[in-house]
Amino acid sequence: MFWRFVIAAVKFRRRRLLLAFSGLAVTATLATALFSIYSDVDRKMHRQFRGYGANIAIAPAGNSQTVPLAALAEADRLGAVAAPFLYTIGRVGDERVVVEGVDFHRAAPLTSYWQITGERTAAAEQCLAGTTLAAHFHLTVGESLPLASGACVVRGIVSTGGNEDNQVILPFDRAAAGAAIHNAASVIQVRADGQKVEQTRAALARAFPQTEVRVLHAIAETEASVVLKVKAAVFSLALVIFAITTLCVTGNFSALVIERSKEIGILKAIGAAEAKIAALLLSESLVLALASTFAGYLAGLGVAYGIGRGIFADAAAVQTIGVDFAVLAPVLLVTLLVAVIATLFAASRIWRIEPAVILRGE
Amino acid sequence: MFLRFVGQSIRRAPRRKAMAIGAVALGSAVATAMLGAMLDVGDRVNRELRSLGANLLVTPKSASLPVNIGGIRYDPLANDEFIPLAGVPKIKSIFWQLNITGVAPALHAQTNIEGREVPVEGVWFRRDLQAADGTHSAAGVRVLNSTWKVEGQWIDDRVPNDRTNDCLVGASVARRLSLRPGSILPLFGEPFTVAGILSTGAEEEDQVFVRLETLARLTARAGQVDAIEVGALTKPEDAFARKDPSRMAREEYDRWYCTPYITSIAHQIQEVLPMAVARPIRRVADSEGQVLSRVRGLMLLIALAALATAALTVWSVMATTVLERRYEIAVMEATGAGRGIIIALLGTEVAVQGALGGLIGALAGAKLSGMVTQAVFGVHGEAPAALVPLAVMVATAVALAGAAQPLRRALALEPAVILREGA
Repeated sequence: MFWRFVIAAVKFRRRRLLLAFSGLAVTATLATALFSIYSDVDRKMHRQFRGYGANIAIAPAGNSQTVPLAALAEADRLGAVAAPFLYTIGRVGDERVVVEGVDFHRAAPLTSYWQITGERTAAAEQCLAGTTLAAHFHLTVGESLPLASGACVVRGIVSTGGNEDNQVILPFDRAAAGAAIHNAASVIQVRADGQKVEQTRAALARAFPQTEVRVLHAIAETEASVVLKVKAAVFSLALVIFAITTLCVTGNFSALVIERSKEIGILKAIGAAEAKIAALLLSESLVLALASTFAGYLAGLGVAYGIGRGIFADAAAVQTIGVDFAVLAPVLLVTLLVAVIATLFAASRIWRIEPAVILRGE
Repeated sequence: MFLRFVGQSIRRAPRRKAMAIGAVALGSAVATAMLGAMLDVGDRVNRELRSLGANLLVTPKSASLPVNIGGIRYDPLANDEFIPLAGVPKIKSIFWQLNITGVAPALHAQTNIEGREVPVEGVWFRRDLQAADGTHSAAGVRVLNSTWKVEGQWIDDRVPNDRTNDCLVGASVARRLSLRPGSILPLFGEPFTVAGILSTGAEEEDQVFVRLETLARLTARAGQVDAIEVGALTKPEDAFARKDPSRMAREEYDRWYCTPYITSIAHQIQEVLPMAVARPIRRVADSEGQVLSRVRGLMLLIALAALATAALTVWSVMATTVLERRYEIAVMEATGAGRGIIIALLGTEVAVQGALGGLIGALAGAKLSGMVTQAVFGVHGEAPAALVPLAVMVATAVALAGAAQPLRRALALEPAVILREGA
């Protein structure tokens, strides 16, 4: 009997309920989209900061001039990206130049901010030239630089605004051989996951006590604070949106009850208890809420997917667009909660409805 | 008569009207709050990103190629290549001067400490910089590098003084020489008091920092600087920014010049300091733009989603109010009112509700966006004043659009049909 009532109510008042349904569906859509974005925003933002390159440096300590290359394997084991850099002084004619040895393969993720005309890597008999150095020696891509340790063909011109602009960049092995340095580098740059910087630093410092392992404060701290703030902004805006949609849905449901005053009056007149009528309305709303959750969830996934794709897609592989199915539970909870709050607010009117007054038509 | 109709209609059913106005107010509050907060988040994050340090480096034009590793020069210093100290304030007089958040001049030198060359930097720590137009701003390494940490004391150099021998020692140097705040360190043959130990995680830890004036006296280079670090708020580089300005048409060049791209700011600095080269520090500048454009994009899309919802809400509420008054419309039609007058009557009512709701909502939304900014960024934020009239206009327009469809339907039906059906 109870359920027949509920189902019939839904069936016969389709248009009115459609309005309530769409209100809730919009809430569910927003909830899904915002939860999906929120649960993922720090991972996506941390990814954006990869462009800054390394956030940890392993430098020689005390009177030592180099650090052991064994630290690379340790960094790999910790899940970080690491690359060795070697700085030596070379000669071109009778001028001295700084020669930087770079392991191009390992360094690629750490040097994505290098602006390069030409190729990004160089093989054994090749090199890259800093833009100032290239201008100084009047070099262009494809020409040969007469380094004292052996000429190299310039494959690319590097511009960073930093020291690289004044340097010759050789493959690491060749630079190390030229300086007679074995299994060591001037510095090892490490990019650890934004959330695990301190852990990685501590582990590296334990493994290589003879070196200095430093966290680059500027990058690590700025990254942490920006990610935190963006997350907080999304969160507080989500709160504002929820509060306001709840209010709107409440208004919608109140209108539903007002409209049905006559029906409620009759129910009361023939002896239905207020609590029972309230339960009736509540179950109607829950049916509505369930239906709109699924509709809104699907729509919200679409919105989140669109936002993720539109903003973060080119940043990395396909996995960033991943849609989180774990958000269904909180969305369901939010939608049901909104529906229940709205119905209870509206239902408080049931107690105030006087059958006699309503049925007389006033 | 017309005005009395509208006035009475609003006065006689205050509750219902209040609900409609309330709904419009909510919608426009969300819209205003979102727009206000969103517009702000980009700027706030931009400022937040400035804690990365300088994104422009100004150095003297040089004929020779600098040969230095980790701050130590391996070639003799060319003493005729420098930027005059008097040129530093000029950076705060360029077109985008308000976007320059920090300027830090430095003089480089090196000295032998216990058998090893150590770079010594003469810098401004925190100094009041007066630009040519009389505006004051803070300058120096502390302003640019908010993440630098000092154990002990920062050096207070607000009053220029070339006789005070105090220094900040990089953490790595301090460890090697077992220095602590208060220790004495001989530099250039004079004793210096260690005020603090500096840790940054970068190559500054291998250096010693002293007052610019003191180093100028010791190296006999008064009034000269070797580099100026500049922090600037910039617009992320887009395809247009990467075009070569020297090959731009006049109009394009003006647009490029008047946009705070890192390259156009660098260009403007070179205009005021012709003896220098200003280059973007790509590591900071490029990544900054990338992060910033993502944050802005994310916030914009969230705002759009919320705006669409708000518009839908207002639309549906207005549609319901008109739907509820079909009976009234039928009576008016039956008693001989023309369509024009009915549309005008209801339109005025809806517009009044929309405008009133929009105004209340916009004011509340502006407050709300201030609160969000305060909560997230800890600074007092204010929604731009232009948002309020905009929100009122949009709310009115959306309300009218929502009312249009049901009104047309009510007018299309025969009054007799509606009247028989009952309200």
